[in-house]
Amino acid sequence: MITAQRIRVAAAITSKKRLLEVLAELLTSAHPQLCDAGIFERLIERERLGSTGIGHGVALPHARVAELTHEIGAFVQLREPIPFNAIDGQPVDLAFALLAPDDDSDQHVRQLAGLAMLFSDAERRTLLRRTTNPDTLLTLLTCEPPL
Amino acid sequence: MKIIILGAGQVGSSVAESLVSEANEITVVDTDTRRLRHLQDHLDLRTVVGNAALPSTLQQAGAEDADLLIAVTQSDQTNLCACRTAATLFKIPTKIARLRSADYRDHPELLDQKNFAVDFNICPEQIVTDYLLKLIEFPEALQVLEFAGGLVSLVAARAVEGGLLVGHPVSDLRQHSPDLDARIAAIYRGNQAIIPKGDTRIQAGNEVFYLAATHDIRQVMSELRQRDRPTRRLMIAGGGNIGSRLTMAAEARYQVKVIEINEERARELGATLGSALVLHGDATDETLLAAENIDDMDFFLALTDDDENNIMAALLAKNLGARRVLALINRHAYADLLQADRIDIAISPAQISIGSLLAHVRQGDVAAVHSLRRGAAEALEIIVHGDAATSRVIGRRIDELELPAGASVGAIVRGLQYATPETPRSGQVIIVHRDTVIEPEDHIILFLSNKSLVNSIERYFQVGLAFF
Repeated sequence: MITAQRIRVAAAITSKKRLLEVLAELLTSAHPQLCDAGIFERLIERERLGSTGIGHGVALPHARVAELTHEIGAFVQLREPIPFNAIDGQPVDLAFALLAPDDDSDQHVRQLAGLAMLFSDAERRTLLRRTTNPDTLLTLLTCEPPL
Repeated sequence: MKIIILGAGQVGSSVAESLVSEANEITVVDTDTRRLRHLQDHLDLRTVVGNAALPSTLQQAGAEDADLLIAVTQSDQTNLCACRTAATLFKIPTKIARLRSADYRDHPELLDQKNFAVDFNICPEQIVTDYLLKLIEFPEALQVLEFAGGLVSLVAARAVEGGLLVGHPVSDLRQHSPDLDARIAAIYRGNQAIIPKGDTRIQAGNEVFYLAATHDIRQVMSELRQRDRPTRRLMIAGGGNIGSRLTMAAEARYQVKVIEINEERARELGATLGSALVLHGDATDETLLAAENIDDMDFFLALTDDDENNIMAALLAKNLGARRVLALINRHAYADLLQADRIDIAISPAQISIGSLLAHVRQGDVAAVHSLRRGAAEALEIIVHGDAATSRVIGRRIDELELPAGASVGAIVRGLQYATPETPRSGQVIIVHRDTVIEPEDHIILFLSNKSLVNSIERYFQVGLAFF
């Protein structure tokens, strides 16, 4: 679902809008059939219906995309936290974006629940904030809980 | 939200004022340093001096990080150009332009993403004109606001001795007119808001807010007061932007007299208007008012751009026998002082037109926002998405909702289709009862007696994380 190429470390991003733009660029980098302006728009649209900031500085922006056959993800670690209108009001410095195919399966909802579970681990969040090596981050993001 | 407002005039300033909050970061752009300094002295916001249509100015204003661009300069062309620039260079997701000229709106394809990239356009003068037309049409009302493309209306009116429901509990409404479905959303006694229960009594003098299908609002009105005789004769003070628009829209159905102080403007108006009579003179001159039979007027509207003149003219007109008087007042403080005293309706044009902007700043899928009681209360139209698993409201009965005190759901519009050039708007209006169940894509119309409730309500109606 995610590769080291779709992980950005210590990103200097100053707004929710820029963060979603960067996530859209990462998500479309490996998929020439996707247009980043379109993905950005989808993520923005979804945020408008309700923030995906799940608390503790974590956001999980997501959207369905007809062009995909499987889920793809991208991860950004921010240098400074930014306002995200999250559920606990805390600014966000870890963001995992998930795009899912537009089908009937509930696979993507399970993926999202899995991510929420993964990020609910305080120890893992600390490591995700400290680590600057994309490959280590990839392991942290993909190995099943518990650590 | 990071918001850039272009233009620090009347519209831009009042938009800035109502959006300034902890949650919003606002930057105002204008070429006039004096105006900007004035704003900065009063409000917690950033300002940038420059030509709003230039890429460098937008960049300086923080366009790369902005969620929303509100282009409300005096110039349609500047506003359009700024939206295109913001879309191409900075990908600002939502762009709103003020367009005064109807020309552009007659060609919606010019505004789409391939062209000027305007997501929403507003014309404050037209919004105010439409609002005034409603008040002319409903002489008993203090306010008539539409939701769901006009299918549902919220009406404010003062209860007067003689209305069927006056002196009776709210629940009697159903007994008087079993076929009539309406909901009394709030009753104000002085400044005290009461969210009514079935046994709450309506007293003469109370300001009552009710929601009903638009075609029923007249009938509900007769529960609150005897019907006034319909409006026939209007006198309008001020032939400016709003005065002339209103005259043009009203002159076919009403006898209209317009008083304009500028002789050249008066002559110009006289040449362009149809049946309306244009008088050159001063609306605060009692001899002129008396000579023009002010005591025969059903409605006197003071619409000049000068608050003090509007107040004086309206007071004078009322004193000389006009049945109902209205004054446009830009300063909120004045409007608060005057309403219900000797001026029947005192309204600030900014307050009327701002709702259409506020809807885009709100969290969640908010379709309409109307500010009530001069900004103290608010009515909202929210579209709900998702299902029972991803929404806290879908699949639940109204009496199962956990709403804070002071908030209530009044009506739902189901299956709303907005009007298109080919098809009229359609949808089912449901005046809610305790056991009404909310369905996906319903338009929920809520009344909030205090605008401090807005945040928690918007959060409550949003989709949960699992919504894809």
